[in-house]
Amino acid sequence: MALGGRTVLEHFDVEVSAGEFVAIVGRSGCGKSTLLRSVVGLETPQAGTITLGKIPASISSNSKGKPDVRVMFQDSRLLPWKRILPNVMLGLEPSLVPLAQKVLAQVGLAERADDWPSNLSGGQRQRVALARALVHDPNLLLLDEPLGSLDALTRIEMQQLIEEMWRSRGFTAMLVTHDVAEAVSLADRVILIEAGRVALDEVVHLPRPRTRGSARFAALEERILERVLGRRAAVVDQW
Amino acid sequence: MDRPQPNSVAWIRPHTLVAQALPWIMPILLLIGWQWASSAGLLPSRFLPAPRAVLRSFYELSASGELWSHVRVSALRALSGFAVGGGLGLFLGLLTGSLRWAETLLDTTIQMVRNIPPLALIPLVILWFGIDESAKLFLVALGVFFPVYINTFHGIRSVDRGLLEMGRTYGLSGWALYRDIILPGALPSILVGVRFSLGLMWVILIVAETISARSGIGYMTMNAREFMQTDVMVVGILLYAILGKLADLLAKGLERRLLRWNPAYQTAR
Repeated sequence: MALGGRTVLEHFDVEVSAGEFVAIVGRSGCGKSTLLRSVVGLETPQAGTITLGKIPASISSNSKGKPDVRVMFQDSRLLPWKRILPNVMLGLEPSLVPLAQKVLAQVGLAERADDWPSNLSGGQRQRVALARALVHDPNLLLLDEPLGSLDALTRIEMQQLIEEMWRSRGFTAMLVTHDVAEAVSLADRVILIEAGRVALDEVVHLPRPRTRGSARFAALEERILERVLGRRAAVVDQW
Repeated sequence: MDRPQPNSVAWIRPHTLVAQALPWIMPILLLIGWQWASSAGLLPSRFLPAPRAVLRSFYELSASGELWSHVRVSALRALSGFAVGGGLGLFLGLLTGSLRWAETLLDTTIQMVRNIPPLALIPLVILWFGIDESAKLFLVALGVFFPVYINTFHGIRSVDRGLLEMGRTYGLSGWALYRDIILPGALPSILVGVRFSLGLMWVILIVAETISARSGIGYMTMNAREFMQTDVMVVGILLYAILGKLADLLAKGLERRLLRWNPAYQTAR
């Protein structure tokens, strides 16, 4: 998998089961986002294949039975010229207004349906973005650092909301994040990418809902974080 | 020192009568001074007529209906020229902005023609069209075309890539992508072009009418010059100012209506 002439991902072989919540962590530029963009078909791999179910991932293929993939981006990417409800309705039949309203209510923003996105806070905009993705009832939800630009409290709230939605709807989720604690608290499985390869593939056995304070949580987070910072830690040891 | 500095006009509460009257004090003072200078004989009327004389001739011209027929002719020329030139600019701007091959085919040519000031074509235009209506229409349409074209092209090209990407992952393509993302994204830029060309529209029309016309405000003004009717000339000039301002208000209103999603255009309350 190459991007702009530079190989970003290679020897990358990962299988995700239906309904699984996978978190992908790694340093900036390790290829996490490229992976997500390839899954949704925004990038085309030079070699290798990505299949969803049995169908190759591609944005143009509208073949029947192709799993519905939706993305939540780091910035909400709401259309500033549409009010909140029409934003959630993007790509939907006009007759599905009640459904959109219902999902908007589930993210707690029912009363903001007639506002402009510019009047919402960053956290609220991400909630709308989540509603916009969920209203399509996707089989696979890709989360590209969706909480990266939120403040710490809003982030925890959003994590709970995402987990809640995932548990009640049972879609497959792939979360790209910088935040190891976020990965450990949400995911069934944490995959660490380093230099375009899988460096760690760790199943998280903690029972849900997970409390960040617990010793096992902290130990796991510590272990993954150490692995992420591996090289730097080694350098520090030498001193 | 770190205490917040009061705004220079903060002592006037906004929306009070004083605050609303403030912008008008200067023009009213100027008007009074002008009238005074004329009455005192400092300003000969063949140089500049007194405001009262201007007002009187405005009244007489409008009572006889002469004024309105000129205004109608001028406004019709301006608007039809704007419709033709602006429409064409919008269409070609959308075309070259959206399709690579159209840009390759047309943009270089258009950019070359753009560098010719429309008014430089007047001798040629008179030769082609005489001093017919079509001459004025052609000049206005040509002048108005470029600002609309360039800003439409630029608007389409500068639509947020992230939003386009998002739209594609949400299954939008073709017309839906155009309607929901590309057009609204380009609209602020298109409206800048429209506003700019509305201003240009009057400039070109004034020149075209003063050089070659048998009716219209410019003709009225030039005709008045032959008879040294300075008051009528000033009426004509003021009319252009008013019509120009009206066009600008129209464009602003359009922006406020179409871009109300943009915080920059939301009316402060």
